[in-house]
Amino acid sequence: MPATIIIVDDEPDLLDLLKMILTEKTDYHVLTTTDPYEALAWCRDQSADVLISDLRMPQLEGIELLKLLKGQDAGIPFIIMTAYGTIESAVEAMRQGAFDYITKPFRKEQIIMTIRKALAKRQELLTQQENTDNG
Amino acid sequence: MGVLDWFRRKNRTASAGGMAVFQKKYESFKRLLDANNDTLELMARLEAVAEGDFVFDIQFIRSRSQAILDKVATIVEELNILGDNRYQALGNLYDSLREKITQEIATPLATESVPLVMPLSQVDRRHLLQVGGKNANLGELKNRLHLPTPEGFVLTNAAFRLVMRENHLTEKIRIFLDGLNPDNLEALGTQSRELQEAIRQATIPPALQAEVLKHYQALSAQLGSQPALALRSSGIYEDQEYSFAGLFLTRLNVPFADFFPAYLEVLASQFNRRALVYLCQKRLAHREQAMSVGCLAMVPAVASGVLFTTDPMGQRQDVMLVDAAWGLGPAVVDGTVTPDHFVLSKKPPITLLEQQINDKPVFLQGQKSQMGLATSAVPAEQRRQPALTPEQLLTLGRYGLRLEEYFGEPLDIEFAVDPQGRLLIMQARPLLVEAPTPTEKRPAAVGEREQLLLDGGTVACFGVAAGPVYLIQKDQDLANFPEGAILVARHTSARYGMVLHRARGMVIDIGSATSHLAILAREYKVPALVDTGVATEVLQPGQVITVDATHMRVYAGEVHELLDQAHKRSPSPIISSPIYAKLRRVLRWITPLNLVDPKLSDLTPENCKTLHDITRFAHQMGIKEMFDLAEKAGQRDDIHSVKLKTTIPFNLHIIDLGGGIEAGRRAKFVPPEAISSIPMRALWKGISHPDISWAGPIPIDVKGLYAVVSRSLTASSDHSDFWSRTFAIISFNYLNYSSRLGYHFATIDAYVSDIRNDNYITFRFKGGAADEVRRGRRVRFLGAVLEKLDFDVEVTGDLVVGRLWKYPRELMEEKLDMLGRLMGCARQRDMLMADDAIVDWYTEAFLAGNYRFEGSPSLTTAPPDQPAHS
Repeated sequence: MPATIIIVDDEPDLLDLLKMILTEKTDYHVLTTTDPYEALAWCRDQSADVLISDLRMPQLEGIELLKLLKGQDAGIPFIIMTAYGTIESAVEAMRQGAFDYITKPFRKEQIIMTIRKALAKRQELLTQQENTDNG
Repeated sequence: MGVLDWFRRKNRTASAGGMAVFQKKYESFKRLLDANNDTLELMARLEAVAEGDFVFDIQFIRSRSQAILDKVATIVEELNILGDNRYQALGNLYDSLREKITQEIATPLATESVPLVMPLSQVDRRHLLQVGGKNANLGELKNRLHLPTPEGFVLTNAAFRLVMRENHLTEKIRIFLDGLNPDNLEALGTQSRELQEAIRQATIPPALQAEVLKHYQALSAQLGSQPALALRSSGIYEDQEYSFAGLFLTRLNVPFADFFPAYLEVLASQFNRRALVYLCQKRLAHREQAMSVGCLAMVPAVASGVLFTTDPMGQRQDVMLVDAAWGLGPAVVDGTVTPDHFVLSKKPPITLLEQQINDKPVFLQGQKSQMGLATSAVPAEQRRQPALTPEQLLTLGRYGLRLEEYFGEPLDIEFAVDPQGRLLIMQARPLLVEAPTPTEKRPAAVGEREQLLLDGGTVACFGVAAGPVYLIQKDQDLANFPEGAILVARHTSARYGMVLHRARGMVIDIGSATSHLAILAREYKVPALVDTGVATEVLQPGQVITVDATHMRVYAGEVHELLDQAHKRSPSPIISSPIYAKLRRVLRWITPLNLVDPKLSDLTPENCKTLHDITRFAHQMGIKEMFDLAEKAGQRDDIHSVKLKTTIPFNLHIIDLGGGIEAGRRAKFVPPEAISSIPMRALWKGISHPDISWAGPIPIDVKGLYAVVSRSLTASSDHSDFWSRTFAIISFNYLNYSSRLGYHFATIDAYVSDIRNDNYITFRFKGGAADEVRRGRRVRFLGAVLEKLDFDVEVTGDLVVGRLWKYPRELMEEKLDMLGRLMGCARQRDMLMADDAIVDWYTEAFLAGNYRFEGSPSLTTAPPDQPAHS
């Protein structure tokens, strides 16, 4: 089954572009939204594998969304997208448990590579969990 | 100690006034050079992003554009200091470009407070967010370009919001849009009809009624009559990154008594089925919807049409295309009649190159005393007469050129001719242009085994597609349009646009490449042929066909040979995404370079159209100002402008800030050995290396380019031409070297002393006369060599920047020596690099000391090389 990638950003144009790229280059099931709370609900209901979020959003900051996600499902890797001037906040997000951050503008291959790594991490966690449950 | 500190100290004893001025101007010059370098780098990075490999957002476009604007502001300011405010025209141009860029990157905001109604005479591009793209463009060309348009007023987006709010429709629309399913056309149709009906039944708030009445009365007073109106929609996203071609309603010939019902009908059309499918396809349904309506005094047009300021198929260079028919405009864009087709040359003087006069049996006109249009028969003697006179065509061509230049991109312009024969512009919007296909002339049809069904017609969108024929004879047929079918129909009705996202291809009997449906086909990249004449008769429903739109042929069955070729050619869809479109729209005011004459005869503020032009202009003028300043000061003892005495055909002029030329050897011409500047001496050693040739035509591999190279070299030996001069500002430790040779530009900024930490070299190389690919190869050659020489190298587009810091003096001198040799070798080297493999060959050859590139694999036609010195 293809992995489900959820992307949240307050800019619809960026969402469109990312969806276009991922649809062209991968077989992921990609869901995009401008509403962080909707992204959170999808993570719960759509068996999401990775959540990619903007750092600065008017409704909810990326770091806050990260905290909410960790409370809901700590196993979903969280990738943060940031602008050049806000790298410090991204580093802070890493401290808070984000899987990785990526600085805009970024190359198509960069995001695909980062998602692949996140999916590998996700798989590793799921396997560990399975072993624990079986053991 | 920095060069300026040194300079200040050294010259304390010099004539204070003159030196203070020179010093101030030299500081300005340095700031101008720094800002110039920064600007070029920022532009190159932005251009690299636009090529399609990056993910970015509007904030990125905004911040990078602002950074470039800030740098160019510095350039303009410093140039005016250098030139005693003689370049103020450049400041005005900068302001207008800044305004255009800022408007382009503005984002529609729902909360902005704007008037409900604005007279068209007060509308321009600054009101884009309030009045929509179409009205803003019309206002701009009326009020800023003073081109003839109808008079009228605009009901802004604020009026739309007021009507929706007061009628409790805002939330209803939101819920409706959230639940859209574009794949169920039938359900969509029912929902769309309900919402449109609710809007048509809305009550107009009294405040809006009063405002409209006031503006209509003012319009009537101005015209001396009570005109019927044309109500034209202008959607919030329309005619920017999205065409919405033909999707919204236009109501023509509306008497004022019927104004508000017609207005509501136009507003409702925003939610018609076709528009909703488009919103879904373009992923705009979740954004705020608003519509402004332009209300123009009705023009009882005797003829109307469309002008494309360039060939949208990208096949013909330097032409404009005109379609025109009798009566009002819809007949042309809806494909009701086959219009006359004219081709105008774009290069002044505009001339009529071709015309195809068609039979135009009917025309549209406004009905007397009531809303709507009526179709009438064209008198027999007029049916085959041209709809436009030669004078009208030329006037139209002039308007088109002016508008394209002003808006900075190809345009699709609707026009009308009033009963007095006067041309009026009704609308101007961006024209989506196909990249030219690399095909030669129309090749022979593919293999004999393939059955050719149609041969001919007009290309509406290039490409090849295969699928089953689906014949549309009536609107009801649209509801069942199958995924992946080929749309076949009699006319180019814009209504068919709503199934284009499901269509693989399109073949139409009658219509032109300028119709709304053709525009939509290009937007959706659906290969399409129009004007085939007999498609609906020849092609059978359900029959599988291959449409080779590029070559205007239709075959029976699937022709895999063609489909595979087309698949290989199709570009990534990413660059057609809205954010890339936005970046390209911003870039058109920033990066194109119009000042391309290598002799710079076009170097005037009037010829500057972009920030790149300003940068180029200011850089050249900055050098000239510095040079003039130095030349004027040349008679004095404290500032030296001298020329290097050498057999190399170099027009090298030197300004010595102090210590750069040996004391006692200062004269009008100085020999190289009199130079005491450490970096200049080192560089000269490389430039004058016995194996480096600076004279005579160098071998080239493309005959046609021989003239280009020869011209550059002739220019460089012409002592009267300022721009062929190479320019060096030197001190004992400092060198600022600027060289233009042929089409490229190289600068070296270096400081070399015994204090290792102060030492640096920055080398920049940009431009070239060859095509982009070849320029790219030269840049890769330079980059590869610089890397081997330990430079930090950055290659962006055709700009290569190499930097080196904090090496000991001896090593810095070695590097400058090598740069001197490299510049000599790189001269026009792009002409030779016919393929990628050769780049590596040249790199190795240079590093091995084979500076004449003997044994080069690319030399096919080789005029004799003539070394300048033996």
